[in-house]
Amino acid sequence: MSLKRINKELVDLGKDPPANCSAGPVGDDMFHWQATIMGPDESPYAGGVFFLDIHFPADYPFKPPKVHFTTRIYHCNINSNGGICLDILKDQWSPALTISKVLLSICSLLTDPNPDDPLVPDIAQLLKTDKARHDSTAREWTSKYAM
Amino acid sequence: MTAQIREVVDVLKVPPSAAAILMREHKWAKERLFQAFFDNPEKVQEKCGVKARCSCGSGGDEKVAKTSSKNRATRSASKRKHCEICMDDDGFDPDEMISMPCGHEFCETCWYGFIHNALDKGPLCVRETCPQAGCNELVTEEEVARAAPDLLPKFETYQLRSFVETYGMTRWCPGPGCEQVAVARASGGAFADAGGVARCEKCSTSFCLKCGEEPHAPINCRELALWQEKCRNESETANWILANTKPCPKCSSRIEKNQGCNHMTCSSCKFEFCWICMGDWTQHGADTGGYYKCNKYDPNASNDNDQSDAAKAKRELDRYLHYYKRFHGHSQAQEFAKKSLKETEARMVALQEQNVDTVWTDVEFLKTANEQLVECRKVLKYTYAFAFYLQDADKRSRFEFHQEMLEKFTESLSELSEKPLHEMNRTEVVNQVSIVFIDCVIVLGG
Repeated sequence: MSLKRINKELVDLGKDPPANCSAGPVGDDMFHWQATIMGPDESPYAGGVFFLDIHFPADYPFKPPKVHFTTRIYHCNINSNGGICLDILKDQWSPALTISKVLLSICSLLTDPNPDDPLVPDIAQLLKTDKARHDSTAREWTSKYAM
Repeated sequence: MTAQIREVVDVLKVPPSAAAILMREHKWAKERLFQAFFDNPEKVQEKCGVKARCSCGSGGDEKVAKTSSKNRATRSASKRKHCEICMDDDGFDPDEMISMPCGHEFCETCWYGFIHNALDKGPLCVRETCPQAGCNELVTEEEVARAAPDLLPKFETYQLRSFVETYGMTRWCPGPGCEQVAVARASGGAFADAGGVARCEKCSTSFCLKCGEEPHAPINCRELALWQEKCRNESETANWILANTKPCPKCSSRIEKNQGCNHMTCSSCKFEFCWICMGDWTQHGADTGGYYKCNKYDPNASNDNDQSDAAKAKRELDRYLHYYKRFHGHSQAQEFAKKSLKETEARMVALQEQNVDTVWTDVEFLKTANEQLVECRKVLKYTYAFAFYLQDADKRSRFEFHQEMLEKFTESLSELSEKPLHEMNRTEVVNQVSIVFIDCVIVLGG
């Protein structure tokens, strides 16, 4: 079941790739993928290419995939280990969701950070008090780590 | 549970599966649910995730009829359906799909996988929502019955469990491996504060209906919880202190002797004393055994009237230790009495065989005595927790008097009933049992 569904997702990704994202298996192991996200134009991450690591659990799609950034990113919902605080990767996961939808959600998280539910409180605090300084640091990190 | 759901079905005109969820989300407080429901039915249905279920007809049968007629209609159009979970290219026949009241449908295989996975999550499975992303319609026994009939009993067990745990009038029997449910008779919101003791008919475990602990009169549930919390926090320390230290006879600092001879010097008040008899070292000499031994045995009154403020904390600890030591002692004695209760039967047989004229009822007093002993130990145990929290000095001295009596009689009962069989005196034991029984009643009443 899991393998069939993952294969199916891979085929669909090839047929109809989501904007600014790509994903595929790392080696022979279909349960381990790598994905890339291009920093959205309207965000301080524009121009950067961010790599993500995806692990599918054995009971996928009934359990959410484990997704984390391997590229450093300055974002209040993503910590220094690349962990992402996103509801659909946790309790709001639904088996009707796909990797493509997850990547699109992460893209929109890059455009619209959620400082009210932060994983890195310091960054959220700065975003709320001094957005200009926050954005310039984010740009700095993007050019340093993602270009 | 069924009766309660039936009433909600009748009053609110909603399907039974929805009624159960509505009640659960309102902690089975019927009146509260009715009030909220009549204020704004839409909002309540939405919040509890039963909106679609309530609006698609009032009875389960009706709904099944509806879906099957819909199925027939779609089948005639011979349109293949798509399952968003397995995303199978071939699609499915409409009758291979199972739909939620909210209209989202998935293939049978995926439904089975979904429910199997939900049940693996444990008790939370009763709050599982529709597999569709962002849909908050709850999955009920109706879907489970259709998609995974073999898992229905497990799902229903979780439903019952959730009912017993959220409804204020029921409690699982705490007996190991026992699955009985106790239902309180009183119609208040919660169990009565005192006297709410239930006895399981199946495994005969007695327990307090309110907190599920062993019956703990005279102490109440709140103070018992405080006491247990205190014991959890301090018992290890307390045990260690009791086992390894002695208080300095002069300033009552706790002293650990980890090396050296019996000639001790308190590090806080410099008092010199003997570790064996705790007496003043100046009175020790060659005639008491000197450094290595002390044959001067006179555990004289310790000077209780401690001096000042600094000793307050120490006194509080000592006070706690005083009660804890006794609580713990009786707790162990209770366990011992319980153990010997199991051996009593053998003793009874032996006692009966001693004399050919003895019949079984003649030796039954032994069992009664032992049961009473367990009961006494239990009551005594909790009297120490109770006394620890008893502030009123007047009440305390009265209480302690009765406690002392009960303790005295319990000890002598314990001694009598443990005597070798040939010394056993039936009348004595029976008398003692009735004395301690009355004392128990007095302690609990006072």
